[in-house]
Amino acid sequence: MALDPQHQVPTGAVPMTWHREKGGRFFDSPEEGGISTGKGNHPAPARVRAVVPGVVLTTLDELSARARSNSLFTLTFGLACCAIEMISTHNAHHDFDRFGVVTWPSPRHADVMIVAGTVVKKMAEPIKLLYEQMPDPKWVIAMGTCATSGGPYYRSYSVVMGVDQLIPVDIYIPGCPPRPEALMDGILKLQEKIKRDAREKNG
Amino acid sequence: MTTGQHTDTLDMMLNMGPQHPATHGVFRMVLALDGEEVVDVIPHIGYLHRGSEKLCEGESYGQVITLFDRMDYVSNINNELAFVRAAERLMDIEVPERASYVRVILAELNRIASHLLFLGTYAIDLGAITPIMYAFRDRERIQALFEATTGARMMHNYLRIGGLKEDTPADFDVRVSELLDQLRAGVDEIDRLLSLNEVFLARTKGVGIIAGPTALACGLSGPSLRGSGVAYDVRKDHPYEVYPYLAFNVPVGSTGDCWDRYYCRLLECRESISMVAQCLEQMEAGPIRAAGRRIARPPRGEVYVHSENPRGDIGVFLVSDGTDKPYRVKVRPPSFCNLVGLKLMMEGAYVGDAVSILGSLDIVLGEVDR
Amino acid sequence: MSEQEPQAGADKTPAERPARHGPPVAEAPQVLDARGQASAKLLAQAAGAHALASGGGHDTPWVRVASEHLVDVAKRLRDGAFGAQMLHLIAAVDYEERIEVNYLFLSATKGHTGQVKVDVSPDAPELPSLTGLWTAAGWFERETHDLFGVVFEGNPDLSPLLLYEGFEGHPGLRSYPFNDYQEW
Repeated sequence: MALDPQHQVPTGAVPMTWHREKGGRFFDSPEEGGISTGKGNHPAPARVRAVVPGVVLTTLDELSARARSNSLFTLTFGLACCAIEMISTHNAHHDFDRFGVVTWPSPRHADVMIVAGTVVKKMAEPIKLLYEQMPDPKWVIAMGTCATSGGPYYRSYSVVMGVDQLIPVDIYIPGCPPRPEALMDGILKLQEKIKRDAREKNG
Repeated sequence: MTTGQHTDTLDMMLNMGPQHPATHGVFRMVLALDGEEVVDVIPHIGYLHRGSEKLCEGESYGQVITLFDRMDYVSNINNELAFVRAAERLMDIEVPERASYVRVILAELNRIASHLLFLGTYAIDLGAITPIMYAFRDRERIQALFEATTGARMMHNYLRIGGLKEDTPADFDVRVSELLDQLRAGVDEIDRLLSLNEVFLARTKGVGIIAGPTALACGLSGPSLRGSGVAYDVRKDHPYEVYPYLAFNVPVGSTGDCWDRYYCRLLECRESISMVAQCLEQMEAGPIRAAGRRIARPPRGEVYVHSENPRGDIGVFLVSDGTDKPYRVKVRPPSFCNLVGLKLMMEGAYVGDAVSILGSLDIVLGEVDR
Repeated sequence: MSEQEPQAGADKTPAERPARHGPPVAEAPQVLDARGQASAKLLAQAAGAHALASGGGHDTPWVRVASEHLVDVAKRLRDGAFGAQMLHLIAAVDYEERIEVNYLFLSATKGHTGQVKVDVSPDAPELPSLTGLWTAAGWFERETHDLFGVVFEGNPDLSPLLLYEGFEGHPGLRSYPFNDYQEW
């Protein structure tokens, strides 16, 4: 779906925690989120339009992005301390399943790799191998400061300064370790990114 | 193939890890299999070697506590306690009694939290999906108490050389006793669910047997050793903090199989609950920090202190050159030593039991590799 | 690699090196408690004439022996009255002019703790292996070999345990620098 040229936003890579929208959040349509993402008094065009009752009109990209973002299979990839908080998030109290996030032990089925913990040089090759085994489209979340930048171990002789030196990262979650709420926020941000990427690809 | 013809059979090499859901981290082992039987096992570690011991040499004594937090990331307070005690012994500091009681309460609660993680993940390794939900429900409760006390769910950085960071919240006693009631019920629930379950018994009874003397020579400690019938517990044999004032039993297994190791941990949860209750009764108001300089600068010398971690006997060998940074810190990691026994336990077992045996050791890779 | 300034007095031995700031450096008192004295007696018995020096604080006495007598002393600690069923820890300390390897022994039943110190030269660090006496020695020795380069003769497998094949240097040594930020 083409955007109104007046509201066209520049494409290209943006840091994930930064939002171009003034409201800070990106909602699909005024009906859905209640906040307009357009400028001034002009509401942004709806991505999914109800044409007649029972019929909606949308693009295929939009549809697949919505399907993908609401059924993320994460690779169980606990490296270190953050893995414990990741397990906590998956369990009853925080219940990750309600976002459609399911943990999966095989990289061949996984959409998202949550790198939860310190990446050391000995682990670098296995991580690349696992990433290559994942089917496209795939996303990576760097959970915690260790996976983001080396964290408390940045001066160590054996620690990689962030997993982004090995594989591309989509979402960075700060914290040592991040709370389960932070991980959930990271997943929500990833869902927004998946939808936004589909739109930008479409123009 | 015709009979009588000379045939060679080769062992099948099976690689497990470093990314494998049953290894609880980045542990890798190569199994040599003759049919279903494990002939040899070659463990590979170091996939989480972060060089903590070297980094300790570049941090001041107060900062080292944070690195110890992250070493065994399931029992953080116990690890902090190990380092803090080493520094205190070197500096000859007496810790106020209240601080000591709070330390023991938190350490024992952390032991329960750690054992709950074991009970849940071990059950999931063996195919029981439910207990982890109950275990983590109780873990969340313990973590909520930790958060109220120390400000963090996992990496507390709460102990200081000479005492504590700050006193406990006003309603600490009430919250802890409420928590203890919940934990008692929670541990009983897991016990009922799992311990005498027929499938669970079939997968753990008589599997991965190691005899007491062999376990000692391998350096096993903690519940992994006590499952083999050796009643060695640092809290009893080398008492520290306020453990001499507490009445508790040391659960000991008889055969040294996976079930014994599992049940020792479950019984230890109950002992820890009773210890915390005793601490609450005995604890009185008072100072929480010994007088002295805020920046620790121990005298030149060396000290070796060991204490009981949920995984076993954690030791800290600390060398000071008189500056504000340690000259050398060496940790005796209990999981690392427990892994030495893996080979002996697995030889002759079936490949299906490999996960059961590995899980029963309850390793934490952050401490194995440091 | 690091381009940090070398620490002041890095060329001096630790004994000569002054404290960077603060009060003058005190020596930790070496006083054994009752339990330590009992252990010290048994440790001295096991070391016999091989003991070069001895001392200790709290419950851990130590004795220094030459590397050729290490296996003898360890064997006597295990089989004698000390009853060291556990080799508790092998901790190497790099004092620059020498590498001191500390063996900590523990008797689980009798409650004795004892420490045996052995000095090796950093140029050709070699020690006999204790794998024949305690299975636990194997991994401790491999780790010490990784981080300090000490060669344990008789250890059947000294391949890298914590580090990986092709890692250069021995990061446990004091001379090994901390990292600055680097792309990897």
